[in-house]
Amino acid sequence: MATATFPKKPPSPNNAYVVAHVEPTPATQVYLPEIFKGLAVAMRHFFRNTKEMVRNERPDPVTESIAQGITTISYPEQKRPYPERFRGLHRLTQRDDGSPRCVACLCCSTACPAQCIFIEAGEYPEGDPRRGYERYPVKFVIDELRCIFCGYCVEACPCDAIRMDTGLHAVPYDSREQFIYRKDLLLAQASRDGSHLTANPRHEPGDETHPGVTREHMTH
Amino acid sequence: MPTFTYDGKTIPFEPGETIIKAAYRQGIEIPHYCWHPGLSSPANCRMCLVEIAPPPGQRGMMLDVLEWDAAIGDYKPRQKPKLQPSCQIPAAEGMQVKGDTSDNVKEARKGVQEFLLLNHPVDCPICDQSGECKLQDYWVEHGQYQKRMRDEPIHKPKAVRFGPSIVYDAERCVMCTRCIRFMDEVAKDPVLDMRERGNLNEIFVAPGKELTGHYTFMTEHVCPVGALTTVDFRFKARVWFLRTAKSVCQGCATGCNSHLDYDPRYNKVYRYRPRDNEQVNAYWMCDEGMVSYKRAHEGRLIEPRVKGSVVAVKKALAEAKSYFEAVPGETVAVVLSAQHSLEDNWALRELAGAYLGTRAIYATGLAEGYHDAILIHEDKNPNTRGVLELASGVRPFSSLLDDIEAGRVTHVIALGGETPADASAELGERAKHALERLQALVVIAAHEGLLAHAAHVLLPAASWAEASGTYVNAKGIHQVTEKAIEPQGASEPAWKLVADVGQALGYDTSWTKLKQVRARWTSAPTVPDATAVSPSPQASQTP
Ligand code: SF4
Ligand code: SF4
Ligand code: SF4
Ligand code: SF4
Ligand code: FES
Repeated sequence: MATATFPKKPPSPNNAYVVAHVEPTPATQVYLPEIFKGLAVAMRHFFRNTKEMVRNERPDPVTESIAQGITTISYPEQKRPYPERFRGLHRLTQRDDGSPRCVACLCCSTACPAQCIFIEAGEYPEGDPRRGYERYPVKFVIDELRCIFCGYCVEACPCDAIRMDTGLHAVPYDSREQFIYRKDLLLAQASRDGSHLTANPRHEPGDETHPGVTREHMTH
Repeated sequence: MPTFTYDGKTIPFEPGETIIKAAYRQGIEIPHYCWHPGLSSPANCRMCLVEIAPPPGQRGMMLDVLEWDAAIGDYKPRQKPKLQPSCQIPAAEGMQVKGDTSDNVKEARKGVQEFLLLNHPVDCPICDQSGECKLQDYWVEHGQYQKRMRDEPIHKPKAVRFGPSIVYDAERCVMCTRCIRFMDEVAKDPVLDMRERGNLNEIFVAPGKELTGHYTFMTEHVCPVGALTTVDFRFKARVWFLRTAKSVCQGCATGCNSHLDYDPRYNKVYRYRPRDNEQVNAYWMCDEGMVSYKRAHEGRLIEPRVKGSVVAVKKALAEAKSYFEAVPGETVAVVLSAQHSLEDNWALRELAGAYLGTRAIYATGLAEGYHDAILIHEDKNPNTRGVLELASGVRPFSSLLDDIEAGRVTHVIALGGETPADASAELGERAKHALERLQALVVIAAHEGLLAHAAHVLLPAASWAEASGTYVNAKGIHQVTEKAIEPQGASEPAWKLVADVGQALGYDTSWTKLKQVRARWTSAPTVPDATAVSPSPQASQTP
């Protein structure tokens, strides 16, 4: 009768060695004393936390990991301040006229290691001042579930059109669909200071500040 | 062959050839913008400057220049050799040319780059040339300086429509005049010219005219930068995502060599680009040919059908078998297609000759159309010569109709959906009635067409973009295409489907690999003794 054979454990590599070996002692083998030790640690923290909360002695959450203080916070009423360069969820910046600064160059989706950005480029419609020489994203979709928040897309963008300065992190939505961020949502998200614009303006063709020339045959 | 040296390498040349062309043929690229191997050379971009040693016993021409010396904080007089444009200097025996090894040349190239980029908007993100642009490539190789000009660049017209298919951006143009010369010398329609001077230089279309005709796309392809874009391709894809297969245009019997650019992520073909082949198309393609890449997706048949309803491949093959049971060989005919590759046609001919025992071999293809003296051939099928090579006496489509009407043919296995009847209403009507009289019509086709619509059993074949194949052009040159995208839907290479049909009918059609097909037709070039006489499968030649 054939018996299922499990694959053998591979032999240890030649250079393997035991890092540390703790000889079992009667104290550890009986394990009850160890359990009480652990409970004691938990209770010590519990009473200290309760005391500090009642006396309103909470330490600064930023330094708490250094200070010997409370190690939990009451999220979400209380939030840890994020560092300046925290990468939040994406947003697309807008021009003054509300159009996306994105020119659908696909640099971000090229750089993205998770391949979670999908862009469909298109031409501005007839009559738009940017018609003809500029592209714009007809579709711009980021799958925030696949995103690894590396920020490469922000680095890659030549137009400062995509940013990760919303200060938002992904909240636990209840369906996958809600993590698929589309162009309108991305454009609507504001940076931490509430702005939809870029901090990095420039004059562009179509803006009043742009010193372009006009000739009779430029229109089309 | 006489030779000269370029950077110490010996380069052979034909008498009269320029330095740049001789080097180009050896695979050495001397940087250039205005030179194109297929066009005349105006030597106006100065990117190809090289240093040529003076002939023995003569002094070279030297230029007095002032050079900034940072150490003394002043200009110092110096002498420099005069550089010469390699795109216009004919090579001479024993000539010693220095390019990359000469500091003067390097400085000149850098200077030319800086000059060309003075007013060039570096808007690569919105430019379609990005990734294929000579300005980028040469900047990395020869530029790499900090921009010194602090003024606002000159702005020139953007997005000027030259015609229905081409959009021009004067800011990006480097005034190499390749587009002008192409329209002038190759397309023989000199509608483009240059106007203004210096900073305001721009290309324009002759007043009252448009850039139209059969060769407008080529202007975009000769443009070394993104100044000209085609309405068809612009903003559709980024070139760095595209992969390329060496293909052959299917638009006419010229069989222009081409690159078929596709995006493997979406299994989608995006454009055709000409591929150099001095014997066939030189460096060019026509507009109709360049947009014909769309046929990889348009009008495709991707599902097996029995009498119009979609079924599984197995079911379709079983159906085909039931039609052909106990049918005398004389009433069976096969139809080859000049739209399909040699492999596909070989398989069907083999089935006909070796197994079905039929001698009635016909051929279809598209009707004739426009032609000119530059590239475009009146025969709109890529493989007419190939079909004739396989079966020299094939009969045209109209005689198939005759034979059906006379009741001599009742069962047909056909390749290719298109027929000459697709374009002509009269022939189409007749063909429809004739095909309705058939007791069995098995069609293996990649594209929609009259035959495909009339088929009792339809098997979807891979198109030329989805399978490698051999095509014989009007000059008799055998050309092999590479596979680009994966077969769409249930489609499979037609030679394979023919084998499947043969097996379903109970024959030992054993070719299962492309290699086997190719090996068998080259080793056994038997042509069945087809009885008819028409020299060409072009049915449109008959009324
Ligand atoms: S942060 Fe990284 S993974 Fe996320 S979208 Fe940007 S490039 Fe992709
Ligand atoms: S967000 Fe930036 S990098 Fe991405 S497509 Fe738009 S312009 Fe390009
Ligand atoms: S449009 Fe292109 S090909 Fe024509 S002159 Fe300008 S750069 Fe050269
Ligand atoms: S000439 Fe014929 S083969 Fe060449 S590109 Fe045009 S249609 Fe295609
Ligand atoms: S390539 Fe020689 S001057 Fe332009």
